[in-house]
Amino acid sequence: MSIDEPSLARLMAASQRGDRAAYRALLGDSRKWLERYFARRSAPHQIDDLVQETLVSMHRKLATWDPSRAFLPWLAAIARYRWIDMLRRQRDEAELGDNDAAIGAEDDAVHARLSIDHLLAQLPPAQAQAISLVKIKGASIAEASQICGQSESLVKVNIHRGLRRLAQLVESE
Amino acid sequence: MTKASIDDLIDGLADELEPVRPRRVARGSLWVVAGWIGGGAALLWLSGARHDLADGAMMPPLPMLSFWLIVALGLAAAWSALRMGLPGVGRDYSGWRWAGLATLALPLSALVIGFGDSHAAMEAARPENGLRCMIEGALSGLGVGAALFFWLKGGAPTSPTRAGWVIGFAAGAAGAAIVALHCTSNDMIHIALWHGLAILLSGVVGRWLLPPLLRW
Repeated sequence: MSIDEPSLARLMAASQRGDRAAYRALLGDSRKWLERYFARRSAPHQIDDLVQETLVSMHRKLATWDPSRAFLPWLAAIARYRWIDMLRRQRDEAELGDNDAAIGAEDDAVHARLSIDHLLAQLPPAQAQAISLVKIKGASIAEASQICGQSESLVKVNIHRGLRRLAQLVESE
Repeated sequence: MTKASIDDLIDGLADELEPVRPRRVARGSLWVVAGWIGGGAALLWLSGARHDLADGAMMPPLPMLSFWLIVALGLAAAWSALRMGLPGVGRDYSGWRWAGLATLALPLSALVIGFGDSHAAMEAARPENGLRCMIEGALSGLGVGAALFFWLKGGAPTSPTRAGWVIGFAAGAAGAAIVALHCTSNDMIHIALWHGLAILLSGVVGRWLLPPLLRW
């Protein structure tokens, strides 16, 4: 089933009126759209969590969609907010010295990097390298420190600053 | 999170759906207007209106110009804040910045006037000649600030930090406009400094206080 704006807007309008069947269909279509949206922006192991969080936010903020406006920009704004929230959480984890698990799914990973690479290119090289190693490739802080020749604390600082800058870049997108 | 559990989530969300009434900016605007009128009524009831206005006279030209510039900033910032509650990628919430830029004419004019008469400038800058205006301005804007805060709390602002700034500036400008109806000074330095500080103070307080409360 194709996901087109007029159909989604109709489903959303029906959902606001309490039509559960329309809402179930809308959530299903939104899920497909969100999976594609996040696949271009996040590591594959984060996509399902982001989709789930966005669907829950969408449910909580159903009344904030204006029926006179398009649906997808509204959904994209909520998805982007959840994505920024995840970047912030990662930044806070970086402050505490945590790091993510390694990721697989090479094909998906390539697609995810298409967009994240564009964003990382706008960061200073040291910050981009630290984020790429720890947050995308799943290296530990110690491993990243050895690979890029930065001290462990500098790697953490670069991740922290880089993620903050990334969140600002995404907000201004 | 597995694919199956997302299916379960969708079923759960669909099962608990209830009808919702779409939020309208017009409804939020009414609360802002009520907050503005309430703040104004409270200050004028407690402290009274300018004696010239109370006697039916016109405000002198420069204070009147300042008043309308500040009102324009308050309206633009409140409108931007209201729109922030209904998110959408590609929507522009920055209209208030142009009003803010225009309002910078006040401190710039005050600076030029101050260079010409530094003694008067020093006198106007003394806290006993204006601190009260700043405090009354910041307090008078609380009604507008509260209306915008609760509107955005129920909405979905996608940049809580920016929303905090804009709520603060809207509240401060609303309060400064109210104070202009009470404060008897026609001195541009006094207006730019003390009434302007009420706006700035509210903006900074909004920036530091509100973002954690607006996250969702």
